Amino acid sequence: MLISVNWLRDYVDIPDSLDVRALAERLTITTAEVEGVEQIQTGASGLIAARVVSVGPVEGRANLKKVELDLGGKSASVVSAAPVLRVDELVVFAPPGASTLETGEIKSTTVADLPSEGMILPGSAIGIPAADQDAIFCPPSMKPGEAIDQAMLEDWVIEIDNKSITHRPDLWGHYGIAREVAAILGKPLKPYPVADIDELSDKKLPEIPITIDDATRCPRYSGLKMTGVRAQAAPLWMQTRLGHVGLRPIDCLVDLTNYIMADLGQPMHAFDGSRIEGIEVGLANDGETFTTLDGVERKLSAEALMIQSNRKSVALAGIMGGLESEVAEDTQTILLESANFEASGIRKTCAAIGLRTDASARFEKSLDPNNTVLSIQRFVKLASAEFPELQLASRLSDAYPNKLAEITVEVDPKLVARTMGHPVDEKQMIDILTAIGFGVESKDGKLSVAVPSYRATKDISIQADILEEIARNVGYDNIEPRLPEVQVRHFAANPQHITERNALRAFCLGLGYSEVHLYIWYDEEWLKRLGFKPQAGPTLVNPAAAGQEQLRSSLMPGLLQAADRNRFHADAFKLCEVGTVFKEGPDSKNQSRHLGLISARRGKGADDELFATLKGDLETWAWQMLGCELQYEHAKDEATPWTHEHKTANIVANGTTIGTVSVCPLAMRRNIDEHLAAWSIAWAEINLDQLHDFRVESKPLRRVPEFPEVELDFSLLIDATSPYAAVNDNLARFDDPLLRRITYVGAYEGKSVPTGKRSLTYRVLFGSPERTLAEDDVNALKASFEKHIGGCGYELRR
Amino acid sequence: MDVGELQQTLDKLHQEAKGELAAAKTLDELRSVRSKYLSKTGSVGSLMGTIKDYPPQQRGEVGKTLNSANKAIQELVTEHTDRIGSAEVAADAAASTAFDPTLPGERTRLGSVHPVTAVQWEVEAVFERLGFTIEAGPEMESDYYNFEALNIPQMHPARDLQDTFWLKNGMLLRTQTSPVQIRAMEKFGAPLRCIVPGRCFRYETIDASHENTFHQVEGLMIDRNVSIANLIAVMKLLLNEVLQREFEIRLRPGYFPFVEPGFELDIACLICNGKGCATCKRTGWLELLPCGMVHPNVLKAGGVDPNEYGGFAFGLGLTRLAMMKFGIRDIRVVNSGDLRNLVHPARWAGPVIVDKG
Repeated sequence: MLISVNWLRDYVDIPDSLDVRALAERLTITTAEVEGVEQIQTGASGLIAARVVSVGPVEGRANLKKVELDLGGKSASVVSAAPVLRVDELVVFAPPGASTLETGEIKSTTVADLPSEGMILPGSAIGIPAADQDAIFCPPSMKPGEAIDQAMLEDWVIEIDNKSITHRPDLWGHYGIAREVAAILGKPLKPYPVADIDELSDKKLPEIPITIDDATRCPRYSGLKMTGVRAQAAPLWMQTRLGHVGLRPIDCLVDLTNYIMADLGQPMHAFDGSRIEGIEVGLANDGETFTTLDGVERKLSAEALMIQSNRKSVALAGIMGGLESEVAEDTQTILLESANFEASGIRKTCAAIGLRTDASARFEKSLDPNNTVLSIQRFVKLASAEFPELQLASRLSDAYPNKLAEITVEVDPKLVARTMGHPVDEKQMIDILTAIGFGVESKDGKLSVAVPSYRATKDISIQADILEEIARNVGYDNIEPRLPEVQVRHFAANPQHITERNALRAFCLGLGYSEVHLYIWYDEEWLKRLGFKPQAGPTLVNPAAAGQEQLRSSLMPGLLQAADRNRFHADAFKLCEVGTVFKEGPDSKNQSRHLGLISARRGKGADDELFATLKGDLETWAWQMLGCELQYEHAKDEATPWTHEHKTANIVANGTTIGTVSVCPLAMRRNIDEHLAAWSIAWAEINLDQLHDFRVESKPLRRVPEFPEVELDFSLLIDATSPYAAVNDNLARFDDPLLRRITYVGAYEGKSVPTGKRSLTYRVLFGSPERTLAEDDVNALKASFEKHIGGCGYELRR
Repeated sequence: MDVGELQQTLDKLHQEAKGELAAAKTLDELRSVRSKYLSKTGSVGSLMGTIKDYPPQQRGEVGKTLNSANKAIQELVTEHTDRIGSAEVAADAAASTAFDPTLPGERTRLGSVHPVTAVQWEVEAVFERLGFTIEAGPEMESDYYNFEALNIPQMHPARDLQDTFWLKNGMLLRTQTSPVQIRAMEKFGAPLRCIVPGRCFRYETIDASHENTFHQVEGLMIDRNVSIANLIAVMKLLLNEVLQREFEIRLRPGYFPFVEPGFELDIACLICNGKGCATCKRTGWLELLPCGMVHPNVLKAGGVDPNEYGGFAFGLGLTRLAMMKFGIRDIRVVNSGDLRNLVHPARWAGPVIVDKG
């Protein structure tokens, strides 16, 4: 929203010496964010009003007109590009010798072979950019030749971020901003200039019948009928100010309502008074069509609130008037509407019909219902100066079925100072609150604070709200930072956080993985390339893009896509993601945190090696962070395209299956493309939620044995199809008082191992705490272990 | 063999050994020469076993003769060990003259955490030192926790400001980490100090400075007598620690339904140091984190008595902070999974000699 400093000066004495940028900065830290400050400089001098005497064509130049002007005792002939010029109207004119920054000095010249003695100035030259190249018309009260006051053309404009005032209905007009500025500067706020209410309440005049069907949707509706208005230009000071705040001057009646909207924040609407008798505020008929004054026919639902006359819709309440009842060139009587509408109803209707206007944007903020009458009083005050024949055709009619509750907040000044962490005394609090319109009574050490109606619609209702008013006016920059004094309390560690941090530490800081963050929704195109159809999962109503509706149930599709992206730039890489996966169901429990790992290398045939090193990484992590060994179970029922039919294992920790490790089958890699087919990729996915109870317990370190121990290696020939886990189980059954430990050394397939077999090597450690083993002991142990092996049905490889 | 013959044999062996030891070039050769003469089965060592073959009265003399021969060869071994040892030391020294001790080391190829995680850990460390616990919460969240309990009822305009990803099952993707304020209060009650790093989602169009998926860290402190002065001090400390510079900060009014009063915290622009540039839209300030004093309705929703306790809360954009810290200009790289953007090339390329960006 744009704020004109000239305009503010009507309400508060801003010293000329005050730097507007400094004022804007104070506004930012006290009230609302200022997005920019702009100085409006037109550099205008020597401008006068001129009456259009005649308008004629310029041969061969459709965009130009030959215009004769009356300069008050003098006349001038000019060629003008202004698109609209009407005989007898007054325009802003720059005679030779006058100048503006945009046009430079005006000289008598020749345009299209015609003499042109001056220039009918476009709006852009005198600080009304919204009028662009249009001529600016002067009100009929001005005389031809009358000098134009140039001071009003120079101004400063402050742009306030609309988002920073969504909760402040009072700041949507200059008077509200002036109130804040007055408080900041410590100056009084001048009373709002309005017509006396008694003048408008003459009981001899008829009352406009107003019926409100739904007092919640329309708490208040005020109206006034006036005659003696006509189509004419608004005063130049008003047009200029509208121009400075980005509005386009149109016609005195329209400009008046726009001016008051920018002045007080209250939208108004002027109906052609000859077409409307009474007012009813009621809901539209479902499916009703209504043409708004922008000429668009709109289809309405039964939720839309309408202004009706004789139950015929004449306006979309709070949003836009109707085309049919609009004021026209020949309008002499108007019915002025100033009403209050409930915010959420306006929001809903705007969303439903896809139309937002300056008026609706303000009603959405919950406006002060007291402004309906105040704005009518303001209108009469401003209009009487412009329309000498203005007469009331009704008394001020006001239906106010839903009165705004008065709010008084009890405030404890000590608590306020304590919560601010800054010494503020009661007097300072009262001064601050009074300056911004609050009524304060001090009683028994407490303050009873009456909230003004313009802050009481939703903004302020509790002590914390009053605290904010005090604190922001003290200035947050005046509060000395101080660390809190606290009660020490122990919080049980959050297992999810610990598990995730440990996983990232192990894999990314220790084991060479690079962490990535990927989107939590699937990409249908990519799933198609993978050949994957996920089971039903949570689906977005409004996805970021078509095909990205479903939330992921596995991290692997995303990680594989990241792998596919990275393979162009590296020959080998390891990726890691910790992220959320989802199951269908309206409960936040239907999600879990997963760890996904990928180890990829250019070149075929490295599957087995990558599979083994990835498992090694998992085991290192499990040992460090879970405090356990991992077991693997041959998994065969995995159905995803990235799972290998044979080279897949369930990962088991302390008897719980925590995830899967596998390699990407050639078929899947080929589905992506031939390049990926030439890569080897191993992956693992772990459900971290199952690991919350794992604790790394410190295992007692071993003492160096007092007597030397003996290490013997045994290589077993077993069926290639018989799994390692089963062999382990069998070996673990060997028992002997001298046995200390059996460890796995490695597997071998190849020369000297018959086909269909493989060799597994184990290291067996024997020892005694009491004596050195004799040769006989060792031989006996060796024989005993070999017997055990034979008993298990394994052959010894010699 | 009589004693005289024995002496002659030993003298001959001594001469042979002397020659062979002198010819030895390495300690290994020396060891094998020593073994050839002095070991149990060696030419001198084996003669030791013959003492018992001599008559008892000669055994003493034979023993002495053998021992002195043995000792003489041992002395030669020691002498040549020194000779070869010194030569090796000299050769080693000579060979080292071409060694360049300034060459960089050979590195283990380590992994890397995401820039956001790196910053997150720094923030966590600061708050852990202040006695805050670290909490987590779900990404698929209910309307109640994300809005309702945070004092954002149905039809509240603040719901428009945070364009939400809605799910067909009635849930939503959390638009902020703030729902965990409620969850943490429910879990711990008051007093409470916690931060919640996590991912958030907003339905908006992605461009160089907007992402629909980003990280925040929520902060919540509830105790008796928590003040705005406390909030400012903690925020200042956080930013100074994480950015490792002293910063000017400012608080200005900001509206968020779950705090009252609410603030926007700005820091002096990092690019221009507060002078005004394109990044800070000429204001000299960067909007960094919304914060405020927890609204009584939010305390109530979390089961905390607002008459007894109060507190502050803040929501720091971790993604934004990571971008500032790592000089990431385009937010889209954050979720790209493209390691060229996420890992500094020097991490894998080896020591950087010239770096022009």
